[in-house]
Amino acid sequence: MPVDASPGDFESALKPLWLRAQSGDDAAYRQCLGLLAARLRGYLKRRLSGLPDEVEDLVQETLLALHLQRGTYDPTLPVSAWAVAIARHKLVDLWRRRGRRDSLHDAIDDVDEQLLAAEPDDGGARRDLEVLFDELPQAQRQAIVLTKLEGLSVAEAAARTGASESAIKVQVHRGLKRLAALVRKDD
Amino acid sequence: MKTDALIDLLARGAGPAPRALAARRLSPAALVGLLVSAGAAIYWFGAIPAGMFATAVPWMKMVYAGASALAAAWLTARLSRPAAPVMRPRRALLAVLIVMALVGAISLISEPSGARMQALLGSSWSSCPWSVLLLSMPALAASLWAVRGLAPTQPRAAGFAAGLLAGSVGAFGYALSCPEASPAFVAVWYTLGIALTGAVGAVLGPRVLRW
Repeated sequence: MPVDASPGDFESALKPLWLRAQSGDDAAYRQCLGLLAARLRGYLKRRLSGLPDEVEDLVQETLLALHLQRGTYDPTLPVSAWAVAIARHKLVDLWRRRGRRDSLHDAIDDVDEQLLAAEPDDGGARRDLEVLFDELPQAQRQAIVLTKLEGLSVAEAAARTGASESAIKVQVHRGLKRLAALVRKDD
Repeated sequence: MKTDALIDLLARGAGPAPRALAARRLSPAALVGLLVSAGAAIYWFGAIPAGMFATAVPWMKMVYAGASALAAAWLTARLSRPAAPVMRPRRALLAVLIVMALVGAISLISEPSGARMQALLGSSWSSCPWSVLLLSMPALAASLWAVRGLAPTQPRAAGFAAGLLAGSVGAFGYALSCPEASPAFVAVWYTLGIALTGAVGAVLGPRVLRW
């Protein structure tokens, strides 16, 4: 799919892929996150023209939030509207933390048009998530490193650490949640 | 970390998305709130005489509180999911309020004019909304906690909806120990108690529903 497809095309290409991802297709999920990252980068870049260094950090923060909240996606809604609502929330949160309250004049309804342009270039994140990993509790960090970075299956990670498979899954989820909280505090 | 590396990390072994997340978080919260508020109502205020359950009075209160809790839970669930439309749950909640107001108004009109004030104020009008508010607090804490784990993008509205849910749950509990019999009383003072809890939720929302 070309990255500069129109919003309708974008949504109609993304949605079936997203639904496959939601039911457990990791390859489809990776592809969706990649497509969404490019669109969200464009969306956030335009809104953060005064803070260009923040764009990639906020893209990453939004991706983390999308992942943690993927259970709140409602299949009757456009994926892009859901994703932009989360990005917008993160943007407002950033502005609020920066003490800027005057910056948000656009209505929620304009989300679809705002997703028009894709930005495939990763401008480089200022904050390094890997550094924040070190602040996670040991069990959470270990579960993430084994299953997410070294690519072990949950069963292999469980065998390696002596924890149960469900404990590994819980630690991964908690670790990512913790990471999202650390990212917010990090500013 | 590059964004592509983050995407790999998130997608690797991600598995299926959790299903019915809002319902799975909100239902236990409402249930716990209900049990605590019912227990507290009976413990503090005492249960109404068992004979009252043979009349329509406590059932009318529980049907009102239950219907309002369901509609408010629907609204809360929608406000906990980004970009979800809220028109229909909002209408449902409004419909519950309007029906109760109509039932109250009709019962008031059918009273002889000298008894209307007594029907409206009963003997406990000044304490009823506060009792409902008090009994709603466990449900408010539980439902705010539930919403906090979801993704409310309008924290004030989500806090308000969670407050209305908690208020309805508290009103349900209070129905077990409330001696009043007039639907007009319920339509005014129960509703006020629910609205007060909603207001507390709206104040707390922006503070506690950050993510």
